[in-house]
Amino acid sequence: MSDTSHGTGGLTFDKTKRSWPNEMNILLALIIIIVIFEILGQILPYMRDQSFLFDSKDRFDSIFNEARLKIIILQVAIIGIIALGVTQVIITAGIDLSSGPLVAATAMIAMSFGQTELVNGFPNPKALFGTWAMDLPVIVPIVAGLAFGAFIGAINGTFIAFLRIPPFIATLGMFLICRGIALWWSGGNPISFPTASYKYIGSGMMPVVWFLSLAVIFHLIMRYTVYGKHTYAIGSNEEAARMSGINVKRHKVMVYTIASMLAAFAGIVLASKSETAQAGMGEFYELFAIAMAVIGGISLQGGRGSIIGTVLGAMVLGVIRSGFTYIKLDGSYQLMAMGSIIIAAIVLDQYRQRNKA
Amino acid sequence: MKKLLVTASLVAMMGTNAMAQEIGATFSRFDDNWLTVLRNGMVEYASGIDGLSYQQEDASDDLAKQIDQVKNFVANGVDAIIVNIVDTSAGAAVSAAAGDTPIVYVNREPDNVNDLPATQAFVASNEIESGTLSAFEICKNLRAAGKAGGATGYLMNGQLSNQAAVQRSKDVHDVIGMDMCNFMTIIDEQTANWSRDEAQDLMTNWMSSGEPFDFVLANNDEMAIGAIQAMKAAGMDMSVMQVGGVDASQDALLVMAAGDYDVTVFQDSVGQGTGSIDTAIRLIAGETVDKKVYIPFKLVTPANMGDYLAKN
Repeated sequence: MSDTSHGTGGLTFDKTKRSWPNEMNILLALIIIIVIFEILGQILPYMRDQSFLFDSKDRFDSIFNEARLKIIILQVAIIGIIALGVTQVIITAGIDLSSGPLVAATAMIAMSFGQTELVNGFPNPKALFGTWAMDLPVIVPIVAGLAFGAFIGAINGTFIAFLRIPPFIATLGMFLICRGIALWWSGGNPISFPTASYKYIGSGMMPVVWFLSLAVIFHLIMRYTVYGKHTYAIGSNEEAARMSGINVKRHKVMVYTIASMLAAFAGIVLASKSETAQAGMGEFYELFAIAMAVIGGISLQGGRGSIIGTVLGAMVLGVIRSGFTYIKLDGSYQLMAMGSIIIAAIVLDQYRQRNKA
Repeated sequence: MKKLLVTASLVAMMGTNAMAQEIGATFSRFDDNWLTVLRNGMVEYASGIDGLSYQQEDASDDLAKQIDQVKNFVANGVDAIIVNIVDTSAGAAVSAAAGDTPIVYVNREPDNVNDLPATQAFVASNEIESGTLSAFEICKNLRAAGKAGGATGYLMNGQLSNQAAVQRSKDVHDVIGMDMCNFMTIIDEQTANWSRDEAQDLMTNWMSSGEPFDFVLANNDEMAIGAIQAMKAAGMDMSVMQVGGVDASQDALLVMAAGDYDVTVFQDSVGQGTGSIDTAIRLIAGETVDKKVYIPFKLVTPANMGDYLAKN
């Protein structure tokens, strides 16, 4: 054991075994996938010599197709925000299945306090509450949404840490409860037409700004703070972490609360981006968030994984999705291919881990 | 003991009251926008009918669950069942599950619609009309804009497992197959799962190829709105772009009022909802009813959108 193991009972990952960081492999995979799409664009007969990543029609100032670069990350930014929280949960050897429905429920709750009274001169046809809830400052829907997320996360954490319910079961129950809340909140009706200021936080490239800023913040937290070190320690060996003086239960509640607040924030941004909140939103988001973390090299046994890896995992999914649309691949094949890539990522990772040991 | 007596007398009263009727309804999805309008309309209509108790359940797009719900309704002794069928090719299975209890199919046409027993009926709109009306109007608009020499565009599909989505997309291809509209070419078609935010991303992906296009057709309003939001974000001029969808939802009509949306199709939720409950009540009374009641779709454009603003 090297000196990296102090403070957590020798349980942090051993940096001496990490001469080639795992994140480099994902970056490499990302580049390979991009090259594959670039080649497909050249050889597929119906593609007419388009380029995946480069500006083949001289539309932009740079050599890149900026529109494509933007959408690659924009379309994964919102699920990416969830994945930042899921990453922390999985590092503690837990799992959070409730995030997708939580996105929907939060979107409904936030949007009901973020509506505008007049739409193109017509009264808002989707007004849920009376005029008192109309044209409120943007802080109201944000705080309402985050508070709801924190509440759900604290319940998840309490059941998992104090009542020892397996995370899979506790969050599966919460998955159903949140979907129910989303449907109940407005009786299944969509809630639409946000105020200008609420519309702004999810407009244009704002989701990407949120995603990347939060990624940087949580990267620093996980790397350099006690919170991060304890999270890794609990995932590596919970018993040892407890014996070395970490308040495991309290810490777990904190991790699940933060994860749910991130999912709630994703819901707030999603409602703003689509300018509507609907009970069916966020379907499969929890699974794609987990997939991002998994492609990013996280271990479902806990103790291993990183925010950078998850961000790269999100990028891989974004590139694949844009790439499939680029080569005009039918939706059914897209799902099969995406599933195969997720499994391949795990197989490769397992193989790498075995060879190391 | 007193409680038991009260309960017993209540039960006895219900047995003797000819008006006490129970209808159970199962819907393919509770979170579908249009079906929610239909559902809420039906709850409201049913609550206005004396002695009718009305209960609805969510099949969450699961046919097996829906068949179980029908069997549970039968076991509970409801007088009639209203079914918004999950899978239109499973009509025989659902009809069999109900046994002698009357069934009214609403909104979606089961494949056994021509072989329904005397106790079963069907109330809906003919799905072939919706996609056709929308695509044909876009075709006419493009011609009027002088693009009869050739126009390209994109097609957004609903959920690929959904009958209405498949039918509406087929309608679009049929319209484009006509001599009058064969100047239209679909560059690509993909699913956005009925959803606005998936449609935004899909449209942005399409636009990133830089290929010029003249129209976007979507299987529903939500996806059309998502496409419009993405095109506006990219700074496109919506006055020359033709966008067509289906549903005439309130969100869509307000987008139309802003001048960004060109064509949608109204599906009459009130007509279908009240029609199905009325039919169920008549089936309970043992009357003979029309086996198939079609409630027409109606084309909605900026010219007549005012008539529909308060309807769905």
